[in-house]
Amino acid sequence: MRSILFYLREFIRQEWMRKFIFVRTAPLLTPAYFRDFPVRTGRECTHCLSCMMICPAPGAIEVVREKGEWAPIIHKGHCIRCGLCVEACPEGVLTSGFVLERHAEQKTSIRAEYHIQIDHERCMRCGNCCVACPVNKEVDPQMGAGGYSSNDEVIMRIEGGRQRVIHEERCTGCKTCEETCPNMAIRVARVVEVQQEGNDEARV
Amino acid sequence: MKRTVDVSFPVGPVHPCWKEPARVKCETRGEYVLRAEVELGYMKKGIERIMKGRPWQEVMFLAERVCGICSVVHNMVFIETMEKISGIAPAERAAYLRVVANELDRIQSHLLANFSYCYTIEHETLGMYLLDLREKVMDLLEKLTGARVNKAYMVPGGVRFDIGEETRHAILGSIPRIREETKRYRGMFSGGPMIGLRSKGVGILSREDAGRCHAVGPTARASGIAVDCRQRHPTYMKLGFSPVVRDEGDNFARVMVRFDEAIQSLSLVQQCLERLPEGPVLAGGICRAGETVHRGEAPRGELSYFVKTDEYGRIAEISIQTPSIMNIEAAAHYMMTGAVSLADVTSIFISADPCIACTER
Amino acid sequence: MQRVKNAVRSRSIHVCVVDTGSCNGCDIEVLACLSPRYDIEQYGIYVHNNPREADVLLVIGAVTPQWEDKLIALWEKIPEPKAAIAVGNCPISGCVFNRHDSYVSAPASKFIPIAAEIPGCPPRPTEILSTILAIAPLAFKDFERERK
Repeated sequence: MRSILFYLREFIRQEWMRKFIFVRTAPLLTPAYFRDFPVRTGRECTHCLSCMMICPAPGAIEVVREKGEWAPIIHKGHCIRCGLCVEACPEGVLTSGFVLERHAEQKTSIRAEYHIQIDHERCMRCGNCCVACPVNKEVDPQMGAGGYSSNDEVIMRIEGGRQRVIHEERCTGCKTCEETCPNMAIRVARVVEVQQEGNDEARV
Repeated sequence: MKRTVDVSFPVGPVHPCWKEPARVKCETRGEYVLRAEVELGYMKKGIERIMKGRPWQEVMFLAERVCGICSVVHNMVFIETMEKISGIAPAERAAYLRVVANELDRIQSHLLANFSYCYTIEHETLGMYLLDLREKVMDLLEKLTGARVNKAYMVPGGVRFDIGEETRHAILGSIPRIREETKRYRGMFSGGPMIGLRSKGVGILSREDAGRCHAVGPTARASGIAVDCRQRHPTYMKLGFSPVVRDEGDNFARVMVRFDEAIQSLSLVQQCLERLPEGPVLAGGICRAGETVHRGEAPRGELSYFVKTDEYGRIAEISIQTPSIMNIEAAAHYMMTGAVSLADVTSIFISADPCIACTER
Repeated sequence: MQRVKNAVRSRSIHVCVVDTGSCNGCDIEVLACLSPRYDIEQYGIYVHNNPREADVLLVIGAVTPQWEDKLIALWEKIPEPKAAIAVGNCPISGCVFNRHDSYVSAPASKFIPIAAEIPGCPPRPTEILSTILAIAPLAFKDFERERK
């Protein structure tokens, strides 16, 4: 009896009656601030690959050549809509929800540096990493199968029977060397720092 | 010892009441439950194995996906662990914004847990009210972080997005309404006679038993143990936080603790937004080598991360301890044993708010 | 007669949700569809969680080893006509779990035929809702005629 009264009291409230009779489901729109899949803004992509390097999901973003221009492609079904690629891009090629706007407002930037680590115990000096490296390929197209090079501008080369990293700062972090290494001797570390301009305190 | 068992009754793995696969085996005599056991292992993905050898920007997303319901706190505790290792101090404004995101997430998690409980005891009206209220909280979270479930809001040194003045006023403006509604539903729950029959005195976990099985979170607080990791968190200490405790230790107390915590969280959010300091939201900083353990309070209880990093800040070793495993044990061994009816098994299990995805990772 | 059947089928859909090892995010988004704001039931969709009565199976999660055989068994229990929808990134590609050393064996289409995919991690409730509504008339259209 008490529970029937309870329900009766609940259902004669004015708000309930109003809602019951008049309310229809509002048109369900995706709000503008929702971080949806990134779309292109139309600005020119410089093929720096920052977006690919920061992407946490495997196979979500790819930069391809489309009608003579580089353009990032988002693979739906892989993309997790985190919006990091939007923040990482120095040119503002992609946009997603409020990310690009807030990013410009706050003057935040993502700085990435790449370190190459070689385990000399495991390295067989095959030179696969040096040959596969896309930066090396651009600098010294004549690099032979052994990874020898007389060019001093390459990232790494085989020198005196040892793999030597010369210009670590040129590495773009693509991990091609890691994939081609037969012995898992080389590893690339992507060290990322998120910073905000005009904030000099608390620097470590 | 020989036991007389009528039926060994399996509940699950796919059961209408719980959304995730878990299996409860109940040994029964008549309707009386003699013993219960929870079988897990349907959701093992090996997240900790994937995490190894990856930098924080990838592990952050994996840590979030340990549990989708309380994703903010996993993100927060992981990032705070990395900050503790590398000696990064988060920006002050960001520390407050983290609390805002975390508390809003706690509210929606508690409302969802209470919805599941109401749904399990077949009180769908109240359940739907709570689910509707949860959508309003989700809207606030979406305004703040730009995503509904996996927010990816915190990074070492601060948070990714500053709160705009407009969003701040929007959140502050909708808090009184949400609080009023939460209080109303709390009153409905505590005053509903049928709810009382299904909840009061069912699934009792005494204080001693709660200590013995290391129950955490609302399950422990409903049994009279005042344990809450937020008491030791620096930002919460500034806000003057004290845990909500009840003594009954039954289903009713657990749900009421969650209601009370949701109301408390609302006032924490309000305090944070009112005294939000000006300044940047990101302090920067690079992750370095080291190892440490860090604890935080998830909506379900204490969550701890042990992380060891190498020289470039990549994860060398990681071990996550999630709260649900202790609560599931408490539910299986102490609450269900002696339950008068098999029908109470599901409601007892749900009242401990188990999160299978957390537990198995 | 056939047209009537088509119309009725697309207006009353029973849905079964199966979680094959997700992070819970897609689960709660499916649950949020039940909420009065999205109100899945006004479209005649009823979340049942009983494969024997279901028309549409929502597969959530990257398939874990435990589910490899159970998912197929569950699919076979659903009476014809039926359709499976992959909700979220996990059953499509494995999402962030699809790495070396993990236990998942995504995609779900290795085990059961997937009729539609909803990308996103997790997808919004509106996306789930519109996909179920879009797939239902197509999947169940002229079922009797095609069987002959």
